[in-house]
Amino acid sequence: MTQLLDSIHYDQWILHALILLPLAGVVPILLGDERTAKRTALVVTLLELVLSLGLWWAFDPSNGGMQLVSSAPWIPRWGITYRVGIDGISLFMVLLTTVMMPLSVLASWTSITRRERAFYALMLTLLTGLVGVFIALDLFLFYVFFEVMLIPMYFIIGIWGGANRLYAAIKFFIYTMAGSLLMLVAIVVMAWRIGAVTGVLSFSYEHLLANASTLGSAAPWLFAAFALAFAIKVPVFPLHTWLPDAHVEAPTAGSVLLAAIMLKIGTYGFLRFAVPFFPEVALSPEVTRLMVLLAVIGIIYGALVAMVQPDIKKLVAYSSVSHLGFVMLGIWGVSVISVQGALMVMISHGISTGALFLLIGMIYERRHTRLIDDYGGIARVVPLFSLILTVVALSSIGLPGLNGFVGEFLVLLGSFGAYPWATGIATTGVIFAAAYLLWALQRMIFNRLDNPENERLTDLNRRELAVLIPLIIGIVWLGLFPGPVLRRMEPAAQRFVQGTQTHGGSAKLGATVHPQQGSR
Amino acid sequence: MQLDLSTPQGITLGLLPEILLSGWALVVLLVASWRHSTAEDSRLAGWLSLAGIAVSAAGLAWLWVNDATPLGLAQMMALDPFRYAAAALILLSTAGAILLSLGYLERELLLAPEYYPLLLLSATGMMFMAGAEDLIVLFLGLEVMSVAVYVLAGYNRANAWSSEAALKYFLIGAFASGFLLYGIALAYGATGTTNLSLIGAQFAGGQLSLMAELGLGLLLIGFAFKVAAVPFHMWAPDVYDGAPTPVTAFMATGVKIAAFAGLVRVLMEGFPAAASLWQPVIAGLAIASMVVGNLIALAQRTLKRMLAYSSIAHAGYLLVAVWPGTRLGSGAVLLYLAAYSLTTIASFGFLAALGRHGERTVTFDDIAGLAANRPWMALGLSLCMLSLLGFPGTFGFIGKWYIISALIAEGQMILPVVLVVTSVISAGYYLPVIMSMYMKTAPNDELQRDMRLFPSAAGVIALSLVAVLALGIWPREALDAAVKSAGTLTQTGTPVARQ
Repeated sequence: MTQLLDSIHYDQWILHALILLPLAGVVPILLGDERTAKRTALVVTLLELVLSLGLWWAFDPSNGGMQLVSSAPWIPRWGITYRVGIDGISLFMVLLTTVMMPLSVLASWTSITRRERAFYALMLTLLTGLVGVFIALDLFLFYVFFEVMLIPMYFIIGIWGGANRLYAAIKFFIYTMAGSLLMLVAIVVMAWRIGAVTGVLSFSYEHLLANASTLGSAAPWLFAAFALAFAIKVPVFPLHTWLPDAHVEAPTAGSVLLAAIMLKIGTYGFLRFAVPFFPEVALSPEVTRLMVLLAVIGIIYGALVAMVQPDIKKLVAYSSVSHLGFVMLGIWGVSVISVQGALMVMISHGISTGALFLLIGMIYERRHTRLIDDYGGIARVVPLFSLILTVVALSSIGLPGLNGFVGEFLVLLGSFGAYPWATGIATTGVIFAAAYLLWALQRMIFNRLDNPENERLTDLNRRELAVLIPLIIGIVWLGLFPGPVLRRMEPAAQRFVQGTQTHGGSAKLGATVHPQQGSR
Repeated sequence: MQLDLSTPQGITLGLLPEILLSGWALVVLLVASWRHSTAEDSRLAGWLSLAGIAVSAAGLAWLWVNDATPLGLAQMMALDPFRYAAAALILLSTAGAILLSLGYLERELLLAPEYYPLLLLSATGMMFMAGAEDLIVLFLGLEVMSVAVYVLAGYNRANAWSSEAALKYFLIGAFASGFLLYGIALAYGATGTTNLSLIGAQFAGGQLSLMAELGLGLLLIGFAFKVAAVPFHMWAPDVYDGAPTPVTAFMATGVKIAAFAGLVRVLMEGFPAAASLWQPVIAGLAIASMVVGNLIALAQRTLKRMLAYSSIAHAGYLLVAVWPGTRLGSGAVLLYLAAYSLTTIASFGFLAALGRHGERTVTFDDIAGLAANRPWMALGLSLCMLSLLGFPGTFGFIGKWYIISALIAEGQMILPVVLVVTSVISAGYYLPVIMSMYMKTAPNDELQRDMRLFPSAAGVIALSLVAVLALGIWPREALDAAVKSAGTLTQTGTPVARQ
């Protein structure tokens, strides 16, 4: 496989192709007619998936740095380049994106009936934005992708969403933009300050990372700006209020992409930018205490609120708040194990929650209600659906042997040393997750079949199985054999942890001295 | 190429674009006095005026390409790329206004032919204002510009709102001119000269006398009126709202370009030593304009008034760019003016097409569902809104990015933060436009379907939008040009070094 890839110089063009291919796909969709739009979109997203799979082999698992880096000048006067590359963190985010995208297109096959061309064109634009966010190695470029993907999602929620879609769309947009614009100021400040010290004005990630320690007293403010932007995206309690609205009102494909990928941009941002740039601030005792506290509150609060939701989609939306709390805890655990765990949770949550939203979308298409109480006993009517829902729910709960377990276990294991109390409380989140999901499951598919309307439900068709089976395979495979994935993450996680510690990340060790403070 | 401005030949060449344009305006006036009855005559005057813009632009290009500089100290008029760049923007916005007017005047039956000569004369005044090296020339330019614009604002005589706009603009404008003139008089009293470079040289390093400080203050007030900065903005919404839409576009772009170019030049050449005096004032005006403009725009129901308040907010962003008083800062002013003008011309062009017989009443609800009936129009207007919002991928974003960078290069943090926070507020009224067009259903499909966008207007809108997108993605050359043009103004640390 590696030879094949080498022979076509895969490593030189793949990242550019991943960005450009979906954009190129927009053209035939807009020129074609309404009925062929979805086929074109499916072909383009599948092609993107096939192309991206080569990354698995092209990626060198022993290297913790950036790989497949390439760049081209863009605005030289300001030191802005078009610069892309991947490491063990972004590799999986890119793969997650390219896997979820064709599934989302397939899931929209019959549910999107109005303005199909526009819908699929926006989906492809979104794909470019998502891939771009994860591979951008220039902060200007990152910012552009970070903002640009807002537009397609805004339209997807606002045009094809539920009853309250306008409110949800604008709330989603303004929340994200408010955070990101302050980050924009922080990015410019960083580049100029570092430019003044080093004499090189550049927005390149490596340049900023290498010299971030020269920022001195500005660092807390800059960290705050980055952290706010990403915390809104994650979302960290109490900035999560846009999430239930957006997830519930969005059409199925929108919810899937929001949950599976867009939330991860927040945690990815912490892993890639906020923490590595400012480890002294991020891991100072005060910030650590705050972030761990908010992570734990998110885990418990998300789970408790999920438990009382009458609407299954809202339940899953709140469960995301809970799951993402584990990721935040793992990041602030700053041990190789906890960071790997955080990455695993990011992937598993993407697969499981994506699958949950897909399943909800499928049953909603049949029954046009998302209220748990309207169902009951449908396991007898739609056995296949119920089986898959159960497996996915168990994976989301974190049943050993399925994917959800690996990540959460590693996070708890890796963080326990640093924060025994917080980790202990977080563990109860797993129990709560079992409670709300199993209870919902019981009310939906078990119990008595007392609503005659539910008797007419039809089971999953072939298209829907084609959407779900890859995810089920992922759930089982990641649960049983997480080794290859973890191995590819390890160097990047190690690098992350080392980077924070050489810069005086003392919180974890309990020490009080900051070796770097004031020295530069 | 060096021009000796003390010789008749030198001054003629140095003023070539202005002379060509004002001469051409008189020719158009002459033609119009013979042919002024039919729609065709009006069109003829319009196209003739456009040719005048092209001729003047050719003169300008000749100066710019040959890099004309003054021999010795610049008297009266500057000869530097900053003037050329500002003049080019003014010509561009005038051309845009003419193209928008061609169909509009016919539709609204405003066929009096003086319209186009007035536009050209006003543009001449603007160019003088942007290039004035002397406070008297600045004032003359301002008056030539303003008088013509007063008339244009009230051009729709049958419409009470238009007349109100003209009267209001005239009264407030006279007031502003008064402030400016007092400021000039005091500056002259303090220094004995009205030449900006000489004023700058007198103040260099030293303390300003009370008289000079007062003069500076009054000058600032005069400019603040002209650019509609809060708290001197009260006239703007009514005037923008009442004036015929192409004139509003012209006022929002041309007048702003001229006033900001004049302001930058006065502050940077005449009062660089007093930066500690005017910087807080500019900062205060900027913050007030951004906050008030954006907040009141949020409450507007009609598009035209919303755009009027948003233009106050944009004046605030531009004042932020004036603040640093550096090469980067004045480059940011030029670039943002370009971005804002391109977008504004297109936005008002759409507005003119949307409202038949009264754009004043076009509300957010009237454009509901436009995407289904007029997809291209909806797409274009969305692009305008995103560019005004400063969204990545559009020229408006590059402009804002540049402003933020110019401030941060000077270590100033508060203004950029206010700028981005108020930009978030502005999403609260730009996005509903898009939302209305794409996510709601049309109240009256017929009305939207037979809306007409005149070919000339469609052309200028399309060109502007292509530029907004292209420069948003590939801003390299525009940036270089802006920085280079601004460089001639401010690379002089000490004002006397210009000689």
